[in-house]
Amino acid sequence: MPRVNKGVLVECDPSIKAILLKIDQDAGHAYIIEDLDESTLVVKEQKLADLKHQLDAVLRKTSMQEREEESSGDDDGDF
Amino acid sequence: MDKVDASAHYQGVTEDKPSLLVVVLDTNPFAWQSLHSELPLQTALSHILLFLNAHLSFSHANRVAVIASHTKSATFLYPNSAAAAETAETSVDLYRDANKYRLFASIERQVQSSMQRLLSSTAPESLAGTNETTMAGALSLALAYINRVCNADNLSDSGEGSGGGARPGEARADTASMTARILVVSVSGDLANQYVSVMNSIFAAQRQRVPIDICKIAGDTVFLQQASDSTNGIYMQLQHPSALLQYLLSCFMSDPSTRHHLIPPSQINVDFRAACFCHKRVVDIGFVCSICLSIFCSPPPGAICTTCNTKLDVSALGNYGGKPAVVLMKKKKIKKAKKVLNDSAADSSTPGTPVA
Amino acid sequence: MAPSTIRGFDEYLQSLPPITFQRLYQQPATALAIFRRMLPSLAKIFVTTLLYNDRPIPLAELQSWVRTESYREREDAFSKLRRLHITQERAGNVSIDPIFKKNFRLALTGGGDHHSFGVPVDASDDRKKVSISTLDNYAANQFDCILHYMVEPSGQRQPNPGVKILLITSGLMKQSERGHQPKITQAGFSFILQEGNAQIWALLIQYLEMCESLQMEKTEVLHFLLMLGSLELGQAYSTATLTQTQIKVLADLKDYGVVYQRKSMPDRFYPTRLATTLTSDVTGLRSTAASFTQALVAAGPVAPPSEAAGESGFIIIETNYRVYAYTNNPLSIAILDLFCKLGSRFPNLVTAKLTRASIQRAIANGITADQIIDYLKVHAHPVMRKNVLILPPTVVDQIRLWQIEGERMKTTPGFLFKDFASEWDFQDTARYAEELGILAWKDSKRRLMFATRTEQIVDYLKRRGEQQAVGRKV
Repeated sequence: MPRVNKGVLVECDPSIKAILLKIDQDAGHAYIIEDLDESTLVVKEQKLADLKHQLDAVLRKTSMQEREEESSGDDDGDF
Repeated sequence: MDKVDASAHYQGVTEDKPSLLVVVLDTNPFAWQSLHSELPLQTALSHILLFLNAHLSFSHANRVAVIASHTKSATFLYPNSAAAAETAETSVDLYRDANKYRLFASIERQVQSSMQRLLSSTAPESLAGTNETTMAGALSLALAYINRVCNADNLSDSGEGSGGGARPGEARADTASMTARILVVSVSGDLANQYVSVMNSIFAAQRQRVPIDICKIAGDTVFLQQASDSTNGIYMQLQHPSALLQYLLSCFMSDPSTRHHLIPPSQINVDFRAACFCHKRVVDIGFVCSICLSIFCSPPPGAICTTCNTKLDVSALGNYGGKPAVVLMKKKKIKKAKKVLNDSAADSSTPGTPVA
Repeated sequence: MAPSTIRGFDEYLQSLPPITFQRLYQQPATALAIFRRMLPSLAKIFVTTLLYNDRPIPLAELQSWVRTESYREREDAFSKLRRLHITQERAGNVSIDPIFKKNFRLALTGGGDHHSFGVPVDASDDRKKVSISTLDNYAANQFDCILHYMVEPSGQRQPNPGVKILLITSGLMKQSERGHQPKITQAGFSFILQEGNAQIWALLIQYLEMCESLQMEKTEVLHFLLMLGSLELGQAYSTATLTQTQIKVLADLKDYGVVYQRKSMPDRFYPTRLATTLTSDVTGLRSTAASFTQALVAAGPVAPPSEAAGESGFIIIETNYRVYAYTNNPLSIAILDLFCKLGSRFPNLVTAKLTRASIQRAIANGITADQIIDYLKVHAHPVMRKNVLILPPTVVDQIRLWQIEGERMKTTPGFLFKDFASEWDFQDTARYAEELGILAWKDSKRRLMFATRTEQIVDYLKRRGEQQAVGRKV
């Protein structure tokens, strides 16, 4: 009989997967159950929301500069 | 929260389209009389009503219509404004009414009362000399009704500027597809007299993608088989007419959009014979006008097509009925010639083609 | 965005224990409503087939009716039927739950003595006839009042206390401090953007959850709600056959605009359009929304002027993402603020701009791109409606792109299978899962697979194990 683990299958780009692995490593492997292949992972179900949050935070940090540029370049003046 | 998760878009939303069901009930008194011991008309009607209710309970937007194909006319049993007015006047027991879904109740009342009227208006003398049913008329009524219902929906929707939320590209395809189907409950036989008009209805249905299902309780008509075959409908010859309800609920329940998923109930071999235009006989082999494709069982008198008045060259027919002429090709090898003889004129292999 | 709420009610129903279903199916109207609203069409076909069959039918036979390409739909249909406790399976045979069977038959044929389709009252003795437009106005007024209150809690029009409590317990609004007015939450904002029927269901599900704490019998409330869906618009119904609980529910539903009752005539009630479309499908709703708008436009002088203007469309969008909204309605402005960057405000005009940041903020708050697009389309100014495509396609595409941009993963809840004994073991199990349509991912090299459900596979493995054991003995 095979073993069965409950979890959530996460499909993403390899780049995103790298970030997820990093988050998992920093948290002492609290999120990931199994690393399947270059673009898929199995994650603990109850930790999924938390993981998404962390990912969002990382993404926001990396894309922050671009966003600031956008808002400063916004032309509100001509309303 | 789910900003980073795209899963929500990947769960395809399958939206069932509403569907219109038009039942054409053959009310030929002769046929029902002979069926009386097995399946009285009243019982059949109640089975059909239950089937209609089941169809309506599939979706709020589903609609039905019932058309009677009588001996000399075809009439709507539902919707029927005269019957509606009549039943509205007769006061109904409101308290008892609470035990039935109101839509079901009103359909039942209208169908029953218009059926009564139809039967009581049929005088015995008017039946003399005819035992056919006006299937062509009923089918035309059904198609006209389907066209009206589906198009009316289109018009009203586009009039409101598709405010309901369909994306512009989708909007048209979405509203145009109130799917429709016709179910013919047939009890009488031969329809050869109406061959042309029945076939025209079939082609109209085919064009509109309206499947015609045939529930054959008694009798045998080749044209209804062709109707279901060419419109991708279901043809079912009932083995046990008394189990009409069960047949209806299990075989004829699926609407056109659900049919994609289902394997249709087994089809019998379709009889593709046609009826001739001159004597309304069903023919195996006949003559066809080269201009308008009218069918004749024997060359028309004076060799003039009765439909398009084309002068036909009957001499080309030559010795019709005689043995097919076999012309031996001179260049062919003797072996080959033998083969051609054996296969009669059917073999058209060119010289040099290996004989398989 | 009706699908999300259908899912909402769906999930709510499936969380109920089997015994509740037994009680629910006692009423033909409820059986009919659940059949119509909850089942996929393939499942409906199976039910009608089984309905007048006294003997159970082998599951394999039913399955063989469906084309092999459509196994997904087939499995979906069967699992829905099982989860709603409509079918029972014993030794590979399927039959319909006897209570459901009896009452669904009753619903189709009529008869019995259950009065579950509502007892109509002859309203001709009424001095003032209640017309359909009166009902539509009433429903729209009541419901708008709730929405207005959510956006502007200190406004003039206050809903009844019951509604306020419901809004707070459901988390759509939040009471920050004692004595202060409650404030709308993010969930509340995305609620406001939803389409009418979805909003009603969201409220009603909250209501259902609340009734348990109010010592109300849940099945009676459900019966009543589902019965409302089968009533006829414009017809008066008697309250005589309702239970005590249901009369209490009736009073609350009046506040939501779902039913209408005149004070002088407490023995009868009128369902509004909100009620009669409760159990409709998505397509039915679309036309409802449209007719609702029409009714409001037609009833212009009766309805408050700001609302009439708000409903007929007031938003102009340019291809450069500028938004001009001809409105002074606080509700509309608050909604625009959810996904636009507001610019300046004039007595009858608000200028705003759609930006990447504003859209992504909305998406982070749980609003979808489709919701935004739908809202803009429904409220587009008549000038915009002259175009074939109401909204500029560049803007629509960009809103969608902004949404996709942030989405970096796709998730599928389910189960990971590992440690298969042999290559054959793995291949066989994976093939079975694939046939069922529940295989999400597999890797034959590492003998790993991921399936969305586990019960059938475990069953299959057990059966296979037994067969092998028997085989070995022989």
